[in-house]
Amino acid sequence: MTRLAPRGEGFDPLSRRGFLVASAGAVATFGFARAIEAAMDPAAPHGVPATASGPRFDPTLWFSIDSDGMVTVNIIRAEMGQHVSSAMAQIVAEELEADWDKVRITHVDTDPKWGLMVTGGSWSVWQTFPIFSRAGAAGRMALIEAGAKLLGASPAACSARKGAVAAGGRSITYGEIVRRGALSRQYSADDLAKLPIKPVDQRNLIGKPVAALDIAAKTTGAAIYGIDAKVPGMVYARPKLPPTRNGSKVVSVDDSAARKVKGYLRCITLDDPSDTVPGWVMVIAESYPAAIRAADLVKVSWTAGPGAATSEKDIQDHAAGLIAKPEVGVLLNTGGGDTAAALKAAHTTVERTYTTSTVLHFQLEPLNALAFEKDGVFEIHTGNQWQSLIMPTLAKALGRPESGIVMRTYLLGGGFGRRLNGDYAVPAALAAKALGRPVQMILTRADDARFDSVRSPSVQTLRMGFDAAGKVTAMEHHAAAGWPTLVMAPGFMPKGQGGAPYDPFAISGADHWYEVGAQKVRAISNDLANSTFRPGWLRSVGPGWTNWALESFMDEAARRLSLDPVAFRLKLLNGAGRNAGSAPSAVGGALRQAEVVRRAANRAGWGQALPKDTGLGLATSFGQERDMPTWVACVARVRVDRATGVVTVEKLTNVTDAGAIIDPDGARAQTEGATLWGLSMTLHEGTAFENGQVKDTNLDTYMPLRIADTPDLDISFVDSTEPPVGLGEPATTVVAPAIGNAIFAAVGARLRHIPITPEAVRAALAGGAS
Amino acid sequence: MIKRGALILVAVLAVGLAGFAAFAWRPAIARIAPPAASSFSPQLVAQGEILAGAGYCATCHTAKGGKPFAGGYPMQTSFGTIYSSNITPDPETGVGAWSQAAFARAMRQGVAQNGSHLFPAFPYDHFNKLTDADIAALYAFIMTRPPVSAPPVRNRLPFPLNIRALQAGWKLLFFHPQPFAPNPARGAEWNRGAYLAEGLSHCGACHTPRNALGAERKDKAYAGAPIDNWVAPPLTRANPSPAPWTEDELFAYLRSGVARYHGVSAGPMAPVVHAGLSKLPDSDIHALATYFGEIGGGQAREADTGPVVEKALAADRLGTGLQYDAPARLYAAACASCHYNNAKGPNPLRPDLALNSAVNLDDPTNLIRVTLYGLDAKSGAPGIVMPGFARFSDADVARIAAYLRATRTTKAPWPDLEKKVAAIRAQGKGKE
Amino acid sequence: MTSFTINGRAVSVDVDDDTPLLWVIRDEIGLTGSKFGCGIGLCGACTVHVGGRATRSCVTPVSAVDGAQVTTIEGLDPADEHPVQQAWRALQVPQCGYCQSGQIMQAAALLKDFPSPTDEDIDAVMTGNLCRCMTYVRIRAAVKQAAQALANGAIPNLTAAKGAKA
Repeated sequence: MTRLAPRGEGFDPLSRRGFLVASAGAVATFGFARAIEAAMDPAAPHGVPATASGPRFDPTLWFSIDSDGMVTVNIIRAEMGQHVSSAMAQIVAEELEADWDKVRITHVDTDPKWGLMVTGGSWSVWQTFPIFSRAGAAGRMALIEAGAKLLGASPAACSARKGAVAAGGRSITYGEIVRRGALSRQYSADDLAKLPIKPVDQRNLIGKPVAALDIAAKTTGAAIYGIDAKVPGMVYARPKLPPTRNGSKVVSVDDSAARKVKGYLRCITLDDPSDTVPGWVMVIAESYPAAIRAADLVKVSWTAGPGAATSEKDIQDHAAGLIAKPEVGVLLNTGGGDTAAALKAAHTTVERTYTTSTVLHFQLEPLNALAFEKDGVFEIHTGNQWQSLIMPTLAKALGRPESGIVMRTYLLGGGFGRRLNGDYAVPAALAAKALGRPVQMILTRADDARFDSVRSPSVQTLRMGFDAAGKVTAMEHHAAAGWPTLVMAPGFMPKGQGGAPYDPFAISGADHWYEVGAQKVRAISNDLANSTFRPGWLRSVGPGWTNWALESFMDEAARRLSLDPVAFRLKLLNGAGRNAGSAPSAVGGALRQAEVVRRAANRAGWGQALPKDTGLGLATSFGQERDMPTWVACVARVRVDRATGVVTVEKLTNVTDAGAIIDPDGARAQTEGATLWGLSMTLHEGTAFENGQVKDTNLDTYMPLRIADTPDLDISFVDSTEPPVGLGEPATTVVAPAIGNAIFAAVGARLRHIPITPEAVRAALAGGAS
Repeated sequence: MIKRGALILVAVLAVGLAGFAAFAWRPAIARIAPPAASSFSPQLVAQGEILAGAGYCATCHTAKGGKPFAGGYPMQTSFGTIYSSNITPDPETGVGAWSQAAFARAMRQGVAQNGSHLFPAFPYDHFNKLTDADIAALYAFIMTRPPVSAPPVRNRLPFPLNIRALQAGWKLLFFHPQPFAPNPARGAEWNRGAYLAEGLSHCGACHTPRNALGAERKDKAYAGAPIDNWVAPPLTRANPSPAPWTEDELFAYLRSGVARYHGVSAGPMAPVVHAGLSKLPDSDIHALATYFGEIGGGQAREADTGPVVEKALAADRLGTGLQYDAPARLYAAACASCHYNNAKGPNPLRPDLALNSAVNLDDPTNLIRVTLYGLDAKSGAPGIVMPGFARFSDADVARIAAYLRATRTTKAPWPDLEKKVAAIRAQGKGKE
Repeated sequence: MTSFTINGRAVSVDVDDDTPLLWVIRDEIGLTGSKFGCGIGLCGACTVHVGGRATRSCVTPVSAVDGAQVTTIEGLDPADEHPVQQAWRALQVPQCGYCQSGQIMQAAALLKDFPSPTDEDIDAVMTGNLCRCMTYVRIRAAVKQAAQALANGAIPNLTAAKGAKA
């Protein structure tokens, strides 16, 4: 997912979260600060953080050191498998010169002091790096200063390493310095901003393999997720879901059959001032199995809201209709040029339309939330990726200020963007309020699928014009899909041409780094999608489908000109004009993208002779957002069975340039996962709306990638000293077009819809190559 | 079927009501004071316990959650529900007042102490083959059980089937008692197996099809039959399992409930193995295996095992071309983790489904039942369970069954599977 | 009333016979390492051992384990040092971790039946365990690493006894 409202729309994570400042002041005060309400340490048994030993040094909001020298790093990001907390801690520990064995992490609860709490977009490392590096550096300087005094040496003669300050042959540990309480130091914000960050070649932790702090507990059953939250006296809830996501109203509830279920308590028809869960009826029971059984027996009748009869085809036909209307949608600022005129004047044009199916998140931990009121504060215990988004909604639903609500943090049994939308906290909170006792709501898998904020289906039409010499003179990319940000966080939408707001998470990727002359990128909100379901952000968001279209189309364009698809791309990735790239994060621009294309092609043996019906296909991407590009290229090697249409992916070769890699093993893990997600959405995953609901709600018919489907992976990273950027998503976006292009290379069949089914391959083979 | 049976009965009645009444009459045998437990030798009681197990007395004469042998266990027949009687030595509600002669008459002729006819749900048509010594041992065991006062549960049979005297007509037609006669052409072990199978363990009661009036069809002995919403497979050469039921396989199955090349005991067969036969000595189990090894012709086909198993294991391989095939994926995700075997051979605790009886039977009932409801720790291989996939849709269960039938056997596809699944689901899990 | 042993401890629970074992383990007994994923036996997150064999507890009625021995991830090894757990940590297999209790339990059972598993064996047996983070490459490697450790003489419970927690 791309960064929210990137360009100074009142939300800049760098300025908002501030430098080393405990609250709002311009000056950092070092000293022994108040306790932070720690929420969760994924490495501690049952998640309960250890208490600090003795006096504590809290130089900033972001970390503290206790008298045993234990460094506790405060993490505002959600831990959902990206080992983000370990990467964050590595950044602090690097500059602080901490001993890694004495670093632990705490995932904090919601509190305004933390600023925006959101985890997504592969931004965590990118946004945190400058802040945590300087926080660590300042802490180190303060410790050296204090340590020097205690050692009777000058600060200049002292150095810090592995949690101790040394001068000559003598040294004193950080814990000892803290215990003696010898710390006082103030820096102005300007001073802090000027703090130097270590040169790359002096790094001890960043880029080195470390044991991720959340892993051990995940091998013993001790890791605690939202679904594991328990408080005394709590009851369980399973909802009865209405026929439509929006606008349903309860007409009647008949629980006579459910009353025979042992443990069944009652049904609650939710009254939701926030309109998050209209038409929900909560079935309450003393155990969750009883709630499941009872809910099966409760009969509710509803009047349905909009979309009760809508099908996937309706949504896609509507999208195609919108694309056909030139006046709808928002044009991105792409440097412009008159594409219509250029296309008209072109010697050759290519136009193609690509589609993608609805995709479920299917994070393995079904949505759940535990809610109750305690000491005047409403507590919500759950795993969530974007606390700051749902807090105002919770306030509205509960009729109380945000200050009276706190969200406590748990591990996430998968996020993939589903838990950016915290809507599931609302019904639990409303039920707890109505009942006056703690309620743990758990969705069954089918409930979870029906209530998913799915990845919208999409329709995209691309056009390209060439002059007589084969030079690209114009390109258009029109994309229509549901807009999650419009539906859930409209205030965060950036503006395109004419000041019109658009959802970056439904178009990013189309504004690529190829030199194509006149360029038009048009983002179109599919209002039928938006009203039928609540579109969601799903791992790699917009580029997950825009790059499917773009990179399939680049291949088709190259073939049209009888050019090698790699050579064609390299020619257009020339780093000219707006594609030159700029500091801080996009230095090198399109030339870095060209480099990963070259490397991936080489590693995969581009151009080699291959067995019959086997082919290589390449696709590339800049990841999620132009000002935070992660350069990535993927080559798929596939074999196609012409008789059955079955596509076997034999190998995926991925080369990534994500700047400096903080945690190499974590980076590899993220890229492995992202690549396989891409494969899953290419060949295995996809559903469709029928009568306003997704038709696949469990694993009997929704069939994501499993271990037997997993091909060989060859993943490598470009050694780089550029600022680190995100890794959780970019590799997802290149797999589908690489496979589509490989199928074409293997058997000459062009696929323009994902997921790719054997029937579609057979049909494409029968229809001949286009 | 009931109707036709009723008509025949009415016809029988019409022939001569008076003569029939005389024919049907049996005298009561005098009541006795319950004999003291000490009047039986411990050895005799111990022998009786083994035999009572192998005759499954407790299985039918104990209600779920009830006291052992106190009766009240419901038996669904195509005529109605019959409840088993109390066979504890309680003088009022049980058999405490029965002399050994009365007991022997019940076992051999299906007539109670008071002279009333017993329904053939009680397998006196098998027990009549028992030796005097075995009947004496069984009597000793029964009369030394703790007496339980448990009045009989009224049977739910329609008129006129509820008239016990009419059972005499049934006996006239179908009951031809014969003491067990050893076959001189066979060895002692075979004959011991035959005695157990035909008599005490009454294997035919489940495995032999019955006629319209509920009598076993001797012309189709062991040809397989429906029982308690399951299918008792044929024990003859008609058994469709690809691997032969050799004596070794039969022994393993009857002794442990697990046969490497056939599967595990389930449904009504589970208590037969784990409760009923469990106290018989190995020699008796070998005897049964010898007997059925010949009846089913399995022992003669012993050499088929190797090639059959090899072929079955080949079917276990996950083909790379299967990744889009929904039933194949369903099987791979739901079943293969426990049922996959590699080329080294089937692990008996990983029942190989190409070899499995349930997959190869003409009727998919057993496969569907096990898929829906699983096996508890007391069935199949003891101590382990198979989960139940009742949360799958009828279509999903049908898909898996059809997939197994198509990929694991060369037999004809099962018709109307989805309806069959729905029908079996409607029957419910059934008795434990 | 159903009685069984769990992680070596005898328990009796008074719940409906058809209550899934998973919820008895999580809510009545209080061991939350076994997870609820799909509820129909197709994701493997709820995998425990019954009689030493990997079993989907979400579709196993509690009555089915009467008299049986149940082992959960918490009881796989008294010191959490089963070779499979060690391999999982060494190769940093878990991402979100939600499926990993089930993966580990399934892998530990796999190695009993297939002490030196091939890729084909691993794929066939582990395909019932969905990993939504798709850590499959590492699962394959870790199963093999654990198999090697076992072949080299690591004995699950003996290893545990040596390094037992106080």
